[in-house]
Amino acid sequence: MKQNKILLIAAITFSLTACTKLEEKLYSETTSGSSGGGGGNPASLLQGAYRSLEPLFMDQARVWAATEHSTDEAVGPTRGGDWDDNGIWRVYHNHRWTSEHDYLTATFRQLAQTQFAATTVLDNNPTPQQAAEAKFIRAFVMWHVLDGWDQVPFRATSLGDLTQSLPETKKGTEAADFIISELEAAIPNLPSGAGLGQASKDAAKALLMKVYLNKGVYANRAAPTFSAADMNKVIQYADEILAGPYNLGTNFFDNFAPNNTVIGTELIYTLKADNGAGIGGNGAMFYDFSGLHYNMNPSGWNGFTTLGDFYDKFDATDKRRGGAYTGVTNVTGLRVGMLFGQQYDQNGTPLLDRKGNPLSFTKEVALKETGNNLEVTGIRVMKYPPDLVHQFPWDNDLVVFRLADVLLMKAEAIARGGTGTNVAPYGNTAASIVNYIRTHPTRGVSALGTVDLNAIYDERGRELYWEFWRRNDMIRFGKFLAARTLKPEVSGEERLLFPIPNEQLVINPNLTQNPGY
Amino acid sequence: MLSKKLLSALLCIVMVLALHVAHAQDRTVTGKVSDSKDGTPVSGASVQVKGTRVGTSTKADGTFSLSVSSSATTLVITSIGYETLEVSIEGKNFVEISFVSSLGTNLNEVVVTGYGTARKKDLTGSISSVKAKDFNKGVVTSPDQLIQGKVSGLQIINNSGQPGVAATIRIRGTSSIRSGNNPLIVVDGIPLSGRTPRPGNSLNNIGASPASNPLVFVNPSDIASIDVLKDASATAIYGSRGANGVIIITTKKPSSGQPTIDVNYTIGTGSIMKKLDVLSGDQYRQALTQYGLTTGDYGDNVNAFDQIIRKTLTHNISVSASGGNENARYRFSASALKDEGIIKQSDLTKYTVGFMGSFKFLDSKKLGLDVMLSTAQVNESVVPITNDAGFEGNLVAQALQWNPTHALIKPDGTYWIQPQFGASSINPLWFLKMYDDQVKSSFILASISPSYKFTNDLEYRMLYSLYQGDGRRYAMVGRQLLNIDRYKDRGLAYIGQGNERTQQFTHTLSYNKQLNSNLNLNAVIGYEYIKFQYTSSGEVAQDFEDIGIKYYDMIAYGSQSSRSVYNYRDPSNELQSFFARAAFNVKNKYLLTATLRADGSTKFGKDNRYGYFPSIGAAWNISNEDFMNSVNFVSNLKLRLGWGQTGNQEFPSGAAQTRFGVSGIGSLSQLNVANPALKWETSSTANVGLDFGILKSRVNFVIDYFSKKTKDVLFERDFPQPGASSAKQWINSPVTITNSGVEIGINADIIAKGDLGWTFGITSAFLKNNLEGLVGTYNTGALHGQGSTGAYVQKLASGYPINTYYLRIFQGIDKTTGQAIYEQDGDVSFFVNKSPNPKFLLGLSTNVQYKKWSLTANMNGAYGHYLYNNTAQSVVPITNLGTRNVAASLINTSVVENTSNPITSSTRFLEKGNYLKMSNLTISYNLGGFAKFIRSSTISLTGQNLFVLTDFTGFDPEVNVDKNIGGIPSLGIEYIPYPTARKFQLSLGLGF
Repeated sequence: MKQNKILLIAAITFSLTACTKLEEKLYSETTSGSSGGGGGNPASLLQGAYRSLEPLFMDQARVWAATEHSTDEAVGPTRGGDWDDNGIWRVYHNHRWTSEHDYLTATFRQLAQTQFAATTVLDNNPTPQQAAEAKFIRAFVMWHVLDGWDQVPFRATSLGDLTQSLPETKKGTEAADFIISELEAAIPNLPSGAGLGQASKDAAKALLMKVYLNKGVYANRAAPTFSAADMNKVIQYADEILAGPYNLGTNFFDNFAPNNTVIGTELIYTLKADNGAGIGGNGAMFYDFSGLHYNMNPSGWNGFTTLGDFYDKFDATDKRRGGAYTGVTNVTGLRVGMLFGQQYDQNGTPLLDRKGNPLSFTKEVALKETGNNLEVTGIRVMKYPPDLVHQFPWDNDLVVFRLADVLLMKAEAIARGGTGTNVAPYGNTAASIVNYIRTHPTRGVSALGTVDLNAIYDERGRELYWEFWRRNDMIRFGKFLAARTLKPEVSGEERLLFPIPNEQLVINPNLTQNPGY
Repeated sequence: MLSKKLLSALLCIVMVLALHVAHAQDRTVTGKVSDSKDGTPVSGASVQVKGTRVGTSTKADGTFSLSVSSSATTLVITSIGYETLEVSIEGKNFVEISFVSSLGTNLNEVVVTGYGTARKKDLTGSISSVKAKDFNKGVVTSPDQLIQGKVSGLQIINNSGQPGVAATIRIRGTSSIRSGNNPLIVVDGIPLSGRTPRPGNSLNNIGASPASNPLVFVNPSDIASIDVLKDASATAIYGSRGANGVIIITTKKPSSGQPTIDVNYTIGTGSIMKKLDVLSGDQYRQALTQYGLTTGDYGDNVNAFDQIIRKTLTHNISVSASGGNENARYRFSASALKDEGIIKQSDLTKYTVGFMGSFKFLDSKKLGLDVMLSTAQVNESVVPITNDAGFEGNLVAQALQWNPTHALIKPDGTYWIQPQFGASSINPLWFLKMYDDQVKSSFILASISPSYKFTNDLEYRMLYSLYQGDGRRYAMVGRQLLNIDRYKDRGLAYIGQGNERTQQFTHTLSYNKQLNSNLNLNAVIGYEYIKFQYTSSGEVAQDFEDIGIKYYDMIAYGSQSSRSVYNYRDPSNELQSFFARAAFNVKNKYLLTATLRADGSTKFGKDNRYGYFPSIGAAWNISNEDFMNSVNFVSNLKLRLGWGQTGNQEFPSGAAQTRFGVSGIGSLSQLNVANPALKWETSSTANVGLDFGILKSRVNFVIDYFSKKTKDVLFERDFPQPGASSAKQWINSPVTITNSGVEIGINADIIAKGDLGWTFGITSAFLKNNLEGLVGTYNTGALHGQGSTGAYVQKLASGYPINTYYLRIFQGIDKTTGQAIYEQDGDVSFFVNKSPNPKFLLGLSTNVQYKKWSLTANMNGAYGHYLYNNTAQSVVPITNLGTRNVAASLINTSVVENTSNPITSSTRFLEKGNYLKMSNLTISYNLGGFAKFIRSSTISLTGQNLFVLTDFTGFDPEVNVDKNIGGIPSLGIEYIPYPTARKFQLSLGLGF
């Protein structure tokens, strides 16, 4: 009897604890993009998609490095013990990157991830405006993949079991046409005007200009031809944007200042950085930090520079080449723009490097610096006046599209066979537009006599240096492969594209390696 | 302070006891002690009344005569070469004592097999058991250190010298390619999660501090034995968590009899085992001249590294009391440890209190109840010695790099906060002042286990256990750390919380019966349910003023824009299992064990909820066969064969289903791509073993060959993009990982004669590791420090061992330019066919006993592997000359290296990892009983980490700094770790 009782008790304890269904419950996460009540939360997903742009564009080692270090505008020299980083910067500049390049791999991957984040918005019952914004974000990152790699992996949906499914690949012109159709479909539902941290009609139009202007490149990168129809599209969208409230303002660098969304007059599309709201990742900090010497204020990483050849393209009076900036130079001594020669603190005392040499930046710079002056070689670039209030992160919004770019694209489209249209005060020719910019008090250089494609190319460099556009421009103008001081050999044609990263190539048979890699 | 208090409390107890000991001695017990095997008399054996110091020793004919008090019930007989024996003298005046030799392996010794026990001679699987008497001696902060070098095929790497830091534990090599390679650890039937509630600390520009040891809460002096289950036929009973092997920790059980108290007090001192050789001030000046550098001499002679290290003081006191009768027994224990670290400001204090009770109820005594409660409080003061410091360096780097001609402190007594050789170089002493990082963790492990014996053979047992761990971390960086912009004039405070709770129900029904004279059955069936919970949260704020309050004590008053809060509650994690084991023993010759476990887990995808893990083991006791009777020199010969499948499910919960997570205020992102088919990974192991004893088992060999193939390998693969924000996806990858090897263990009782005993033991393993079928390659072994951003040195790749090195090939320094030369200009890396996985592991131990003296030495070593010296590469390179310090080995070389030679990861910094370490040497003297109330007393002197034989140029070849990339573990990289201490400890043990 007693044994039976005990058996019974044992059986009860057992049954009390036995056999759960093993359902996994989430607490700090959720299993669906739609929040409770079936209402859906596409607004939060859209924010998530915007936020995913931050690490791509606000980090020195992603899109910016790929589009600037590979050009005549920027180089990351190894300085003795500093900045070797397994040669990852040098191979950008000397065009010896491979399909194993970690930063190219990460850039390709993250651009595709943002595409996916935008698609999750579309899959979760967005409002028409939310859908349009998501399509803009998606088109923006797809365009970057198209421009860099030609092959754009694409997933139409984020739903269902994706374990076995492979993304399709959109290539070249087909990808460009898809991006155009997406943007044109999105425009009616986007908010009007400038897109300060948010997609807008003008932002979408500026991106459409980029796609149309480069369509000939995507058809044949080695020898692009440009159709008048495409160029007229560029001009059409330019004119629609120029109807907006944009002007060249009073100080070129206001467009990059910590409060640039307030005082910048050229901004068409920016990525938001808001210290108080915790938005913005590294913001635009890397621009300055990557080049600032350790002994400057703020103290930087003493890395990237521009090149003497590029610096020499500026007239001495060109205000875009830099100078003092109120609120910064008078506080820390730091100037903005390009920093060449002796640097000073706020009291005018000349600064020294860590070895006690004068901190005097030189035009000469090498991929591997070996001399005693290795800390001071190369001209530094401070396009963004530092945010001295928020030491980390900064409040400067990151500029993606701005007025001068739109104007120069229009001028180029006219020069490439488009029909000039007159929008005051810029005139209706390539020369009138380029010279309007040049002679504006914020630039302060004289008008050019003739404005041909080469002149437009050089003007784009002086205007848009370190703003993500140089690689795209150099390829379109046929300059990318040419020999340069630190890349003495003409690059092979394969360098017009980045290699498909091995990481993705081995797991996605719908991708094929770009020729030559 | 604390130990003083404890000491005085103990003295009180001693006094009280003394009052109880004064009994009249009123009867005489006589007896004879003889060897159990051949009946020869044993002379010189000690015979003592249990719990007293009353005793004598046996004469040449083995006889003794002893006056005992009327209350005496038990005699304790001890002698070199024999198992300690307790004999009841209740109602007896003469006792015949059969003394069992302890020489060689005792085949009747009980080994813990998981959900049960078995006699060693009945084992079919590969299990190594280490008893307390064979543990490494001296104060250890975590129990894993007790068996380092004691088990063939078990590698324990103390990742760094920091007290309480996690160890890398590998049984038979690395069989997984993501985190979770450590074996399952079971404490008294309670499997641990392997995590700790201690919050991590990862500050910008300072880096991530190393993980803490999940076993830190266990009081090492409570442990009776540690059993290591190595092959699948042994571990399959743990199913989906058995693939990496199982370590079972069994604590000391209450013993009946007169209450006894054991007290042990240890005081120790430690100092750094090895320093790195950097230039002195004078050498630096010389080098500057030699290199023609005009700057960099600031006139002083300073050794910054010596300023951050110290001689340490360690106190440890442990007390235990045990007693009771047959039906109610208890054991109580407590310990207090204060372990100073050799880096100033770092220490660990630990308090434990434990209780264990064992009760029998009912007239029949069939109902039993075991209860256990163990609590611990661990406080750590952590210094900024991080795994992944960037160019700023961690504390060790800053001390190594400090310009030796530049003062740390100005003549006016203030610190050089921003030295003249570079405003961003950090003064290590100032860093220590500016950094404050306190961790407080508390732990409760409790269990209650009722049992009922239906018959003598059939027993039901239930175990309910609760583990609760709470960790809090308070850290701050002072606003006067001017060298890092992030903290300059701002400061930072951080409070982190971690909370872990595990609950478990286990029901077992065991049956153990001699079915007939030829067949014995030992079987168990069971059900187990475990639920793991984990939450973490934290607060960070900046912008504090120095007003005499620690920033973390006023974290609410940081600037509004800098304040941030985070929290995360892990997805639910439950495990439900059914298991069974049957062991047959036919005529003590033929042994067969079969096990099966079914594991269901919430982690697994809905398509694969349950996994099944079978195993079978067989053994043949050849020495029990008749034909072996004539082979006299072979005393034991047993052949073991085993095969089984075990699993591993150490991947994060939530990987099987789609998850969306908050990625910022008002922002949501899809985190992963679901994999509803996700399941455990499976290892199939075949094992052949031979146990071989000769010369009356005075020399014993255990030889095992194993081959372990792991399939369906859990891996976070690259996902074909576009994909969710994790970029990766957990899958069961078609990868095969093979680990094979041979283990050889030898134990020899070289001398056992009269007063003299000498034993010698070797544990060794030859290991081979290979990875096949991986799509693509994956990088790991991230380097950090100046000029090393993004650099990595190891890869997972098909056809290579796990963590194989992938490096640029260094060909020397060019004589004319002083620049390094690399194969293909250093633009390409290669698989260099070297790996951090040792090919051979070795443990040596010896014990010499003479009369009351005893000397024990333990050594451990590893061979055939390579370590990467990230410290030499990035912290003290030649490029520092003129500003900061450099390694002495770079100066006065035949080929002069140019000071601009870039910091480059390459084979130049790949070093042989071979080492043999004298990890433990103890001399002890058994004073025996004295005064009236002291039953036993021992005094011992222990040296730990006395020396290392190695060519490795870093601090310690036993190193593994966590340099994972994306959760893929690295192995064998040194990067400015917390240096290892050499310790000396004096210990006094008293029994009352």
